[in-house]
Amino acid sequence: MAADTTPPAAPEDGLVGITIDGRTARVAKGTLVTDASAILGIHIPVYCAHPKMDPVAVCRMCLVHVEKMPKLQPACATPVSEGMVVSTERADVAKTREGVLEFLLLNHPLDCPVCDRGGECDLQDFAFRYGPQASRFPITEKVHFNKAVPLSDRIELDQERCILCWRCTRYYDEITGEKELVLQERGVHTLVNTFEGKPLTSAFQGNLPEICPVGALTNRKYRFKARPWDLQRTKGVCPTCSYGCNINIDSRDFEIKRFASRDNPLVDDMWLCDRGRDSGPSWNNVERIRRPVLRDATGSREVSVSEAVAAAARSLREVRERHGPSSIAVLGSAENTNEEIWLLQRLARTALETPHLDHQLEAFPDIGPEEHALGIAEIEQCAAVIVLGDEPEREAPVLTLRLFKAQTKRGVAIRRVVAQATRSLVGELPAEGLIGLIADETNREHATALAGELSRSHQVRRMTVTRGVNGRGAKDLGMLPNSGPGYTAVDQAGKAGRHILEASAAGLITGLVVMGGSVWSASVTPLLERVAAALEVLVVIDTRPGPLSRAATVLIPGHAIFEKGGTVTNMEGRVQRVRPALPPATQTPSETRILSALAAELGAAGWPGDHLLINRELVTAVPAYARAGNGGRALFEAAVRA
Amino acid sequence: MGEHKLLTEHFGTEGLQTLAVYERVGGYQGLREALSRFTPETLIDEVKASGLRGRGGAGFPTGTKWGFLPKDVFPRYLCCNADESEPGCFKDRALIDENPHQLIEGLLIAAYALQVNTAFIYIRGEYHDQRLLLERCVEEARAAGHIGANVLGSGFSCDVIVHGGAGAYICGEETALIDSLEGYRGQPRLKPPFPALKGLYGKPTVVNNVETLSNLPHIVQRGGAWFKQLGTEKSAGTRLFCCSGHINRPGTYEIAMGTPIRELLEEECGGIWKDRSIKAFQPGGGSMQVLLPEHLDLPLDMDAVAQAGSSLGAGAMVFMDETTCMVNVSMRLVDFYHHESCGKCAPCREGTYFESDLMHRLEAGHLTLEELHTLADICDNMNGKCFCPLGDTATWFVMSAFKAFRDEFEAHCGAGACPVRTASAQLVTA
Repeated sequence: MAADTTPPAAPEDGLVGITIDGRTARVAKGTLVTDASAILGIHIPVYCAHPKMDPVAVCRMCLVHVEKMPKLQPACATPVSEGMVVSTERADVAKTREGVLEFLLLNHPLDCPVCDRGGECDLQDFAFRYGPQASRFPITEKVHFNKAVPLSDRIELDQERCILCWRCTRYYDEITGEKELVLQERGVHTLVNTFEGKPLTSAFQGNLPEICPVGALTNRKYRFKARPWDLQRTKGVCPTCSYGCNINIDSRDFEIKRFASRDNPLVDDMWLCDRGRDSGPSWNNVERIRRPVLRDATGSREVSVSEAVAAAARSLREVRERHGPSSIAVLGSAENTNEEIWLLQRLARTALETPHLDHQLEAFPDIGPEEHALGIAEIEQCAAVIVLGDEPEREAPVLTLRLFKAQTKRGVAIRRVVAQATRSLVGELPAEGLIGLIADETNREHATALAGELSRSHQVRRMTVTRGVNGRGAKDLGMLPNSGPGYTAVDQAGKAGRHILEASAAGLITGLVVMGGSVWSASVTPLLERVAAALEVLVVIDTRPGPLSRAATVLIPGHAIFEKGGTVTNMEGRVQRVRPALPPATQTPSETRILSALAAELGAAGWPGDHLLINRELVTAVPAYARAGNGGRALFEAAVRA
Repeated sequence: MGEHKLLTEHFGTEGLQTLAVYERVGGYQGLREALSRFTPETLIDEVKASGLRGRGGAGFPTGTKWGFLPKDVFPRYLCCNADESEPGCFKDRALIDENPHQLIEGLLIAAYALQVNTAFIYIRGEYHDQRLLLERCVEEARAAGHIGANVLGSGFSCDVIVHGGAGAYICGEETALIDSLEGYRGQPRLKPPFPALKGLYGKPTVVNNVETLSNLPHIVQRGGAWFKQLGTEKSAGTRLFCCSGHINRPGTYEIAMGTPIRELLEEECGGIWKDRSIKAFQPGGGSMQVLLPEHLDLPLDMDAVAQAGSSLGAGAMVFMDETTCMVNVSMRLVDFYHHESCGKCAPCREGTYFESDLMHRLEAGHLTLEELHTLADICDNMNGKCFCPLGDTATWFVMSAFKAFRDEFEAHCGAGACPVRTASAQLVTA
């Protein structure tokens, strides 16, 4: 009997079966061969293909053999089909790769020893792995281009190194929509240039050198600063705003050399803004507080950290004994980690027994988790998104790219309206589907009013762009005068940030603990100077000098966000870890250890000082944070109010 | 067999470029009949029945191409490809110069069959006079009610827009043509989606050659079955061949398909000039592989020529006499592709540059034998690996010539000068 040669019918699972180099997998319909091969652990080299952009198939590096196809096919632009058999190992594929690399290197300057990209260059890597060993093209015949074309104050283009993969021009077409880069000339003389020769103005230029597969586009601020293999890489979160972009902190010789993107499709989608990207290296030149200092009428002196902590506890106890607990206030900031916030609010509420605590200057009455319901990636699932005012995108620039993607690739209607918009100003909304409403913190009252109007006819979910890398965490964990951890009710509402400062200046509050106050804008400096002059006791824990630290009776240095471990919560509630990328600029312990020591001196012994132990305590008390884990969103079911 | 005048029947008639004279010789009757006797569907069937195949080079059946348009997706667009840029090709220019209204009539018939309300004529930048002529003729036809709202009172409306290119060979490739028409750099698009699904402005689009469209008035008037019996089984109708090179009477000749090439050469073109013998010829324009004297008895039939390893392409016949240096011809053609490469894909952009460099050194007699093999190798690395056919065809002539005239190529290596030219100089002076 002849064997049945008909293949078994494919299961109806909505997937398609594919064989690559003898390995089989079932993948989603429409998956590109490059992605299917990645699932199977088979490497297909690409230059023009990019996971965030539509395929163009111009580099021809990914040509593979597909059974029943007369010619080799670009894997980056070929979707899988049922029963497709692909080979990446055949001799013709290998020869084609070698041939394409020879072509790409034909007019390439081969200046790897002086190229910023050397060591992390796809052209270099693939040439070693798949390329010809020697050049057959006479070096004298190479076409020459300009090697240092400044495209802006941030980006420099080496037109000779460019392999014309079109990633940069497509980035401007597809990702930012700004269309600032174009191709000029044709054939072998083709080059990338700015549109009409004008300098780039985009707020997202720093992504260009990262998407460039070679060393053609370089970052002028990083140029010639380090070789990739000298860099030490640490996973982190961009500290500039509350969007929470994932980054790699690349350091060398105890200095931050650059922030590199670390793709989190749910947050940054691998794009960083220039403000965030440039903030890293700027930390290298910041003036820091390095030693604990005690100051009184007779002058100031440097002391040990234990002396400083003991003095702080002693003076705060004296204030409480003389004027009562309500004469003491505690201010944190949106720059503190969740673990610091946890100890600080606990210090205020249980050790110092004061209701006056906050992390910001503005008062937020009726604060609740419903203003943070919409997730960043959920923007793409909305039928329409309303953005109140231009502040949200100014506060968190990468939000602009997510909105553009939602609009162009998902067909979401984006309405940018004035902050005071009412229903009539928003215009017609789709009858069905989720409506996203985005506002920054200064417009939360307008957003609340509009959400109330819209929710009568639509399902509305709000996003509030909080300020500071951990402004959201500080609110979630109760560093507020009117809300406890997890938005629980408080027995007695205290004074909000600005009222605390005003009461201090007026002599109503005589002892103040401030952690991280140096982030406040220069507009409050006169008030801070009056506060500093009036207070009896001012305990400052901070990284950078400011009006308060210069007058502090007890000054203790803090660790910058790159120098310590912990978690921060982004504006959508995503709890993300930060890790020490650099050794601290001071020899004193981290803020959490100082706070636990201070609590002990105040009579509350046994508080954890290690951020991991604090986190364990924190997630027990706030279940939403336990559910979020590391990298998930903290979702509060409803505000619990008395 | 032999010469058969269909498209060129009225060539030379005084004032044929005016609407009045064109209509006097029966012009726009095809359009009238199409609008009155056919529905769009029956018209497409008639064109399918005629066996008409595209005259732009690929030879794809026209009716089948039209059938790919998705139903119920509007608007749709029709583009006449008048970007005739193939080296050796000038038949479309003759059709426009001599009988522009025949093209416009064909365009309108196709527009009716495809239910297109905006048709474009994309004409290459170098055809400046022809563009002005077409623009004048379109205006004339519009004034007469042949173009615009309610064509000839039929209720069907169609506007015609003449658009001049900027002089890029690649814009003859249909998707590059569409890019250029939209105002972008003319560069081929990734297929699929094919233009029939997503073409101009993302809408279903048909791109047809000038000669293809010029056939339509005759197919409508005389019937698809009549057209099909002209020519051969698989190559229906007549074709215009632009004959050039070393012949006594260069020019455009309309020939029924199936006629032997030798007949075209001897009877129409008057044979090879200066009583010399033929060394080689190229049957389909600069892109196509070289053929030898022994192939002269092949019929002018797309499939027969394809079997011989070449193609009738766009119908450009270039004949070369015995004094021709094949290395020199290859070099000139490679230079053309090097100059015209759009730069989109790496193998074409860099490969044509490498090829050109090697060919120049070979022609000057400075290449080594090893480097000659490099030439063959890089051609292999280009052919079939490029984004569009431009890069592939940049290797076809040189590779076929290298195969057929290997001795000649090898004789150039290290010779310090072109050996063929040296020998030919002696032949001519002797």
